[in-house]
Amino acid sequence: MRGNRFILIFIVLVAGEILIGNYLNLSQFVLLTFLPTMILCLPQPVSTPWALGIAFATGLAVDFFTGSVLGQTCVALLPVALLRFPLLRLVFGNEMFDRRENLSVRRHGLPGLLLTMLVANTLFLLIFITVDSAGTRPFWFNLVRFLLSLVLAVLISLPLMSILLDPENN
Amino acid sequence: MAGPSKTSSWILSAAIFLLLEIAALALVGNSSSLQNVWMNRFSHRVKGFFWAGGERARNFVMLDAQNRELAEENAMLRAQLRRFQLSEVDSLQQARVAAMGSRDNFLFVPAEIMKVSRNNQHNYIILDKGSEDGIVPGAGIISGRGVIGQIGAVSRHYSYGMTLMNNRVSVSARIGADGIAVPLVWDGIHKDRALLKDLPLHYEVAPGDTVWTSGYSSVFPAGIPLGTTDRTRIVAGASSEVDVNLFENFSAVHYVTVVINTGWAEIETLEQP
Repeated sequence: MRGNRFILIFIVLVAGEILIGNYLNLSQFVLLTFLPTMILCLPQPVSTPWALGIAFATGLAVDFFTGSVLGQTCVALLPVALLRFPLLRLVFGNEMFDRRENLSVRRHGLPGLLLTMLVANTLFLLIFITVDSAGTRPFWFNLVRFLLSLVLAVLISLPLMSILLDPENN
Repeated sequence: MAGPSKTSSWILSAAIFLLLEIAALALVGNSSSLQNVWMNRFSHRVKGFFWAGGERARNFVMLDAQNRELAEENAMLRAQLRRFQLSEVDSLQQARVAAMGSRDNFLFVPAEIMKVSRNNQHNYIILDKGSEDGIVPGAGIISGRGVIGQIGAVSRHYSYGMTLMNNRVSVSARIGADGIAVPLVWDGIHKDRALLKDLPLHYEVAPGDTVWTSGYSSVFPAGIPLGTTDRTRIVAGASSEVDVNLFENFSAVHYVTVVINTGWAEIETLEQP
């Protein structure tokens, strides 16, 4: 039941990302995305190879339906999927994996979760903005775009986590 | 058991990641010409970096062989230069050279230094060429920066010589193009200093003049630059001596050329009483 709920919410959020990409262009300095958070919140039984597959398919779908450069989101999202477990292990330790528990605000605390989101979004945005600019935009532009997008992504991640993660623990 | 399983799981994940990342990059490259150009440029830069690194490593490994080739080329060029210089000598100089009995019969053999001493009063040198390579006792040793020394003894594959940093070695030197010819010896202290001895008191030497081999000895051909003059001193009120800053750096020399005078034996016969 919980698994189905997660899949459903995941699909709805991907659709939401596509809608934002198509109809909510805030500014050229801001990139509104919550895909790294979604990948990070994948349940623990989802292994890294599966997470990589999900990241690739999700990125491809978003690129295809938003009309952006095909593969661009995949390129940035795949490293997040690869480093999901190492990142969680680094922040929360092995205990989380020994107990086979999913991410939870109540168990793992807000600062740790925020740090994880910050690192994941930083990785995603750095790659995405670099590939998107393709060496044509000045450094300051990329830097401003990165910082604004990072702040927004972390802010969005908080309510998003409460939707994605197990409601009983949040 | 958990170790290998974890490792293989990581290898699998990394392989899938690489595969998907490459696929994604290929998609990016095919979808947009801007990104395609950027990626091509980036890949060229990466390739250039690795190629340059590989070439540097290869060159480093082959440095010894290249140095040997360069030494041989240097010897050949030196011989050519010598022939060229002689062809340029005017008739007066030709007459002078003939009068001194010096003919151009010098052979140049490149050699590598096997051992060299620098901290004694009688410093010596061992070269990797011997009698089988045509080296004979009494031959001169030079480098691109001047005179190194003189061969003293020869075995089949090696030769032993005394360097200029040896009290027993004296080189006939000339100050400037047409200056006086006097003996040049090591000052006994510095690795880059020598003395021009027995200069007449009336002879004035300007500091900075180049000192060359005179060609009056049968060991070294004329016109090899040795160094530049420095201070002049009067010795015992009878003659003066001049400090010479040598061009040669005895600490760094590794490849040399042995100069063999093919008329040496004939000259020695004449010199015998």
